Amino acid sequence: MHRVVVTGLGPVSGIGIGVHEFTDGLRSGRSAAAPITSFDASGFPHHWAGEVPAFRPEALLRRLRVADWGRSALFAAAAARLAALDAGLSLPTTDPGRVGAVIGTTSGESTVVEQLTAELVAGGYPAMSAEALRQAPAERLSYAVSAELGLAGESVTLTTACSASNYAIGYAYDLLCWGEADVMVAGGADSVCRWAHAGFYRLGALTERACRPFDRDRSGILTGEGGAALVLETLEHAQERGARIYAEVLGYGVNCDAHHMVAPNEDSVAACMRLAQENAGVKPEDIDYISTHGTGTPANDLCEARAIRAVFGDRVPPVSSIKSMLGHTMGAASGFGAIATTLGIRHGFLPPTINWANPDPELSWIDPVPNTARPATVRVAQNNGFAFGGNNAITIFGAIR
Amino acid sequence: MTGLVTGWGVLSAAGDSVTELLAAVRVGAVVGVDVRDRFDEPLPTAQAPAIADFDVRRLLGRKGTSFLDRATALAMVACGRALADGGLTPDDDNRHRVGVVLGTTTGSLKSTMDFSRETLVQDKPYLVNPVLFPNTVMNCASGQAAIRYGLRGVNATVAGGPLAFLYALRYALNALRRGYVDALLVGGVEEYTPNTAWAAELTGAGPAGEAAAVYLLRRPAPGLTGTPRAQVLAVATGFQPEPSADGLAGCVRRALATAKVRPADVWAIASGELDTDSLSEVVPAAAQRMSVRPALGDCQSATGALALGVLLGHYAEDPAARGRPALIVGRSRDGAVAAAVVRG
Repeated sequence: MHRVVVTGLGPVSGIGIGVHEFTDGLRSGRSAAAPITSFDASGFPHHWAGEVPAFRPEALLRRLRVADWGRSALFAAAAARLAALDAGLSLPTTDPGRVGAVIGTTSGESTVVEQLTAELVAGGYPAMSAEALRQAPAERLSYAVSAELGLAGESVTLTTACSASNYAIGYAYDLLCWGEADVMVAGGADSVCRWAHAGFYRLGALTERACRPFDRDRSGILTGEGGAALVLETLEHAQERGARIYAEVLGYGVNCDAHHMVAPNEDSVAACMRLAQENAGVKPEDIDYISTHGTGTPANDLCEARAIRAVFGDRVPPVSSIKSMLGHTMGAASGFGAIATTLGIRHGFLPPTINWANPDPELSWIDPVPNTARPATVRVAQNNGFAFGGNNAITIFGAIR
Repeated sequence: MTGLVTGWGVLSAAGDSVTELLAAVRVGAVVGVDVRDRFDEPLPTAQAPAIADFDVRRLLGRKGTSFLDRATALAMVACGRALADGGLTPDDDNRHRVGVVLGTTTGSLKSTMDFSRETLVQDKPYLVNPVLFPNTVMNCASGQAAIRYGLRGVNATVAGGPLAFLYALRYALNALRRGYVDALLVGGVEEYTPNTAWAAELTGAGPAGEAAAVYLLRRPAPGLTGTPRAQVLAVATGFQPEPSADGLAGCVRRALATAKVRPADVWAIASGELDTDSLSEVVPAAAQRMSVRPALGDCQSATGALALGVLLGHYAEDPAARGRPALIVGRSRDGAVAAAVVRG
């Protein structure tokens, strides 16, 4: 069994593109929330989101032709390129078959599908463009990463909705642990789109302008987007090439509620935390920080906080939700959580939960690191991800020892 | 990393069994079903290799089924049959150790596009039906199958179009090897809708097919009852977009090496549509070639799952084939390759 470490980070987010901007965004509590520009949102009562207006794929990508790929694939590939640069990986690697990509997503090429829908509405099915149809399959997210970086190893897209990045990190971790690969690029990507915005609005889960997780008056999510990628490699591989090591991947856990497609389940979430901790060989008291799923809906945050108390008892570590800054970036969300967790371990700080004003008396055991990043020694941290379909996935990271 | 195939649930235009599936693939002519009355929208062809007479309410009951899309319902039925065929009854002792891993392409393209269309054609863009929102996420089928059968173990959806089942199989073998679960329902599902029919037509991939094929895969363990239908010995995958690359042949070599199977012993190769040339230097010319697509159309993420069904049909009818290794292979338009080694 190989130890697995994080050596490169590639965030493409509304609070920063690249690890330096993103770190600065986390430390300063920056917000990506702004009026939607990627589609005409004027008909929606709530029309703010966490977009990435500064995303210029052509400025980041070296090999992909931008016109050949959908927005989510471009997010994934750009994030992967940034992560590879940050890791100092020389590409193509000497053995490309030992380097692969696992990318998670909720809605895949949602903006491509929306384009197809618009063509259909305008001219019927035969009016759908063949090129958009070729770009629509979700597997193209990981293929974009592999093509951009010249990777010949396993290239898989996991479509387990809003915990998909944690699934991706977990699967990549297993492949590395087992010696099936030397390096894996893992993360997730999604794009803001009308249909998801409409769906969350009609579920009553969409807030107006500010996402305020764990606040008494929290009112829902902001839809968000972006690409999050981490370079993971075996410890030996990282040491041999003299790579800088951010943190170690200690393990992960996945399970399924098998209860409801949309509503979270407290017992199942708690069970997933225990699975992840057992897999990582840590106990609740070892964990110094939790990057929560923290969507900012009344139901999620209550469920998650209760599950945390069930697992951690009266020793609940500080928690925060970076969705307060980024919005809910769907399939990329737990990837951004993993990046934030890794940075917290490396630089000794806890990212804040911004927009927080009032404690929720029902969540009295929660310290949400309100509004301002906090210096802290983080030895072990837990990164939560939950999803429609009851697909829970939790990753655990630790300082390298 | 290996897994035992102990049960199957297969639905295709050819019928509800691997025997019928094998027979259709042997004939090799499109299994056409009249689809003209199925949708209000026009279709590119009057006949298509779609599943006939699929009655959700009859198969799954009325409760909780009225909002299911077809792909989800097909997957749920196939999962139920694979569990029953494998003799696994989920209960409070085992449900945490049993999960679902399904392949997909875009989830239900129809569900997503219908939902998306409402944002364009309604008076207000938010006048969508929230009950249908979960159908737009690509893990809908695996989540609903888990709910129906109470399966709380590893639950994943793997995108890969024509390779999705092979990716799902590899993902499942990893979860079994790591001891995360004891059994997994592994499969692929694609529905036939105007969306998929026109997509296949417009991209030259047609005709679109329809199938759901799910297998109960168990960790080899002492005390496992029943005779397994086959063993999955290894799955290898890779991404080789350059035409000059070793590509599928290299992937097959890796899979065979992992499985400790000599290439000369390979008895059959099953796939969507085979380009035998690329494998002629790896696998004996005498090995049987079986292609799913000429009979069942473009079944995307169900393709590999149907290929496994064809092999199981063969192993079931031909005692001489028992114990001999076979391959399932695939290649995607983007240059991804995958190969699985199974033994009946």
